[in-house]
Amino acid sequence: MMLFLFLFVATFVALVAQHFIPALPWLHEARVMLMPVVFFFGAISLPAWAMLALAFASGFMWDALNVQILDSNVEISLGWSIILYAALGAIMSGFRPLYQRGHGWEIHCLMSGPLVSVMVLAEYLMITFRRGEFLFPKIVWWRIGGAGLVAMMIAPLIYFILQTIALTFGWVAPRRRKVVQ
Amino acid sequence: MRRLNIIAFVVLLLAVAGLFALSPRNTQKIQSAFLDFIAPFLKTGSALQTKITAIREGLKTLPQIEQENEQLRVELKELKATNQMLRDLGLENNKLRRALEYRERSIFKLVPARIIARDATTWWNTVKVDRGFADGVEPDMPVLTEDGLVGKTTTVAEHASTVLLIADENCKVASNVEGSREQGIVKGERTSTNALPEISLNFLSKTADLKPGQKVYTSGVGGVYPSGILIGVIKQFEVRALDGHATLVPAVDLTTIEDVFIVTGRK
Repeated sequence: MMLFLFLFVATFVALVAQHFIPALPWLHEARVMLMPVVFFFGAISLPAWAMLALAFASGFMWDALNVQILDSNVEISLGWSIILYAALGAIMSGFRPLYQRGHGWEIHCLMSGPLVSVMVLAEYLMITFRRGEFLFPKIVWWRIGGAGLVAMMIAPLIYFILQTIALTFGWVAPRRRKVVQ
Repeated sequence: MRRLNIIAFVVLLLAVAGLFALSPRNTQKIQSAFLDFIAPFLKTGSALQTKITAIREGLKTLPQIEQENEQLRVELKELKATNQMLRDLGLENNKLRRALEYRERSIFKLVPARIIARDATTWWNTVKVDRGFADGVEPDMPVLTEDGLVGKTTTVAEHASTVLLIADENCKVASNVEGSREQGIVKGERTSTNALPEISLNFLSKTADLKPGQKVYTSGVGGVYPSGILIGVIKQFEVRALDGHATLVPAVDLTTIEDVFIVTGRK
């Protein structure tokens, strides 16, 4: 429960911090998606019910801040990000046994990239379906792939910080690596 | 699957279904409440960012004074810091004076606002400002600077608002071109960002003879934006299958603006 509360606060902090990280000009203005990377740590370290609760919190905060209401029309319904977070979180959660066996950071790093890219792609598809015109210039793919690439780059650092705090306070069990005799 | 997980899954689905069923009005209320909640954190973050930037810029001058002795180094640093501060104050003074003059001579009632956070998303172009209902701001109010149009307010909370920038595809502005009878709709491109704003003027006649450098102003049609606000300058004009299309350079540098005005009415 304490780990969940800690990650809930961490997700919120990541959301605030993300506002102050500019888009990356060398990656065609791709974004640093800090909040999803923190969420994916939660997805791998928390039990499924807590992961779903964190998905709800993350998706809700994201939508509450970004969903556009124009001329009394909601462009994309509040809540769709919750489904997205829950679905991607469920994939990450499938690797939890590996995390419990001590392979957390590798899995978190390898999976964060593709999952973040899927998240950004899903956002773009939602906008495309809503606004019409199937526009997929190169720059769109750069931004989708770039966000994933950056997520993979920052994932080990995020993992190290969150895992260290969690271990220090005893919110997660120490790693159980197999000892070969 | 454990029972707790099933319960959590069902609760999540019900909660999402409940959110999907919300009316736009209630959705906006939730957004306003959350924006009010997060605004102090964004303001603190913004202040922190300013301080960090100032410190980083201050450190850049250190290699230049490495040859100096310890006392001179300290003195020089102090003088530089003071100088920089005065220069910053001077610049800010000039900027505020320009803004004040603009506010006084403007025919609109303007509420000055400061940008507290820029967008954190890939596909939307918005900024958060530190003015809300408490300052007389409402949704769909034009936002501008002394240089031109910035966008319009969308979600408004008690002490903060979200501003949809003209670089966003959803921000559509009825406009006309200086020195011609051409009218069209200005909107952002889908791949546009705050740093790379791409806006275009659409639905022009195919026979329009527009030249680079011509200014584009709001026409006042639609009711949200008053007429005569500068939007941008034509960069390129091309004739498409059905209409004429112009690419614009925005009048306002959306990457560097810090202070804006929200038009709350006419004087």
